[in-house]
Amino acid sequence: MGTTGPASINENTGEKYAMHFPIFTIKDMVNLQIKLIDFLKIDQLFSILGGSMGGMQVLEWASSYPERLYTAVPIATSYRHSAQNIAFHEVGRQAIMNDPNWHKGNYYSNNNKPKHGLSVARMIAHITYLSEGAFQKKFGRDMQNKVLSWGFDADFQVESYLRHQGSSFVDRFDANSYLYITRAMDYFDLANQYNGNLSLAFKNTKCKFLIISFTSDWLFPTSESLKVVKALNKTAANVSFIEVVSDKGHDSFLLKVDEFYDILTGFIHGAARKKGIQ
Amino acid sequence: MNNKLNENLISSLIKNNSKVLDIGCGNGSLLQYLETNKNINGQGIEISHKGVQECVSKGLSVIQGNADTDLIHFPNNAFDIVILSRTLQATHKPKDILYEMLRIGKKCIVSIPNFGHWKCRLQILFEGKMPMTKSLSSQWYETENIHLCTIKDFVEICKILNIYIEAAYTNNEYKIKKLNNPDNFLNNLLSKEGIFVLTKK
Repeated sequence: MGTTGPASINENTGEKYAMHFPIFTIKDMVNLQIKLIDFLKIDQLFSILGGSMGGMQVLEWASSYPERLYTAVPIATSYRHSAQNIAFHEVGRQAIMNDPNWHKGNYYSNNNKPKHGLSVARMIAHITYLSEGAFQKKFGRDMQNKVLSWGFDADFQVESYLRHQGSSFVDRFDANSYLYITRAMDYFDLANQYNGNLSLAFKNTKCKFLIISFTSDWLFPTSESLKVVKALNKTAANVSFIEVVSDKGHDSFLLKVDEFYDILTGFIHGAARKKGIQ
Repeated sequence: MNNKLNENLISSLIKNNSKVLDIGCGNGSLLQYLETNKNINGQGIEISHKGVQECVSKGLSVIQGNADTDLIHFPNNAFDIVILSRTLQATHKPKDILYEMLRIGKKCIVSIPNFGHWKCRLQILFEGKMPMTKSLSSQWYETENIHLCTIKDFVEICKILNIYIEAAYTNNEYKIKKLNNPDNFLNNLLSKEGIFVLTKK
C-alpha cells in the first residue's frame, strides 16, 4: 500500500525515482489527504485518529486544518521526534545505506536488494516498539533448541523472533521508502514554526481531542503526550487525556488492549452524540 | 452528604452554554448532569485513573491530571465557571489552587466539608480523637483529606486572597440553605458542608 514513492516511475525519465525522489514531510502527507477529502467533497471529517506517525498526522491536521475535523485522537505520539527517536532511525538508515546491495538507492533492477540492511533496521525498530516487560514475558530466556550452539546462531527465541520480523519485513517494504518515511518523522516538529511555543499551533482550535499514551511505551512516552496536553490546556481546548496501563510497549496501540478500546469507544460515542449523528 | 442537592444547586448557579472546568471531577456525574441540563461545554481534571477512564468512556472531556500542578497551564479567564467540589481538602496547596482557580475562571464554585461542625468538635472535645464523619470516613493515618478546614477558616483564606464571596450555602443532607453570614458562630457550628460562589474582587 502507499502512494508514490522512490520505487515509483518518474514520468520525466521513465525510470524509478530511487534517491531522486523529493524529501517529503508529515505535512505533505496531510496535504495529500486533504486533497482526497476535497476531491470527495467532504467538508469536515468526524474523527481523525492515528498512532505513532499516524498520530503526528492527526496533530498536523488539527493544527493546519482545524475546521476540517471534529475530533482528533493522537495516540502514542508526539508533536516532534525526540533526539533518541532520531538516533534509532539513524541507526536503521545507516544499516540500509551500508548494505553493499544498496548502491546509493539504485538497486531496483538488481537481483540483490539491500535486504540485510532493511532487515536490521526493522529489527532495531521492532525492539523500540516493545517493552522490556513484553520481551521478558514473551520470551524470557527461552531457547530454540535444548542445547546451546556455542556459536552465533539464533539460540534464543527472541533472536529468532527478531530475525523473522526483519526478514518478513523486506518482502513488503522498500528500503528507500524506509529512509524517506523515517526522515519525515525526524523532521516533524509542530512547534518549530511557532518558536517552540506549541500552544500557538492549536490556537482557537474547536476540535475535541482525545490523547492516549501507554505506560510501557518508551518510544513515545507519556511525557511526550503530556506536552501536547499542556499546550492544548493553554488554549483551553476540549481535551481528554489518559495513560492506558499496558505492558506491551509502543505496539499497544495496534493491539487489543481492553481499556484502550473502551475509552476510544466511549469517546467516539460521546462525540457522535454531541455532533447529533447518533 | 446528598449529591443530588449539590448538583441541583450548582446547576442553578450556572448559565446555559457556559464553559465549565470541574477540578477533581471523579466519575464525571456532575459534568454529565450539567451537560444534559445546561448544555455546558465541560472539561474535567481527575487524578484517579479509574475516574478518568469512566469519564472519557461517558464521552466527557477529562484529562488525567493533578489540581496541584496542572491548573497553571490554563490561560486567564479561560472558563465561565470553575468547580472544585469536595476536593480542596485533599490537595497539597489549597491556597495556590484557590488563587489559580480565580485566575482561570470568571466565577468559581467551591464546596468543603466543614470541620467546624459540632459533631467534629464534640469528637475532639470528648473522645480526644480526630473526628470521623460520614463524608470524612477514613482514619487520620490513611485519609486523603490532608488540609481540612472550617467554614470560618475558608472565609478567612478568601479575605487573604482578596476573593469575593458572592454567595454561600450549606447542604445538611435534607436541604440546601443559603448562608448570609457563613462564618458566624452558629452557621459554622451547624453546617456539615459549605458551598461558596466566588469571584475576583
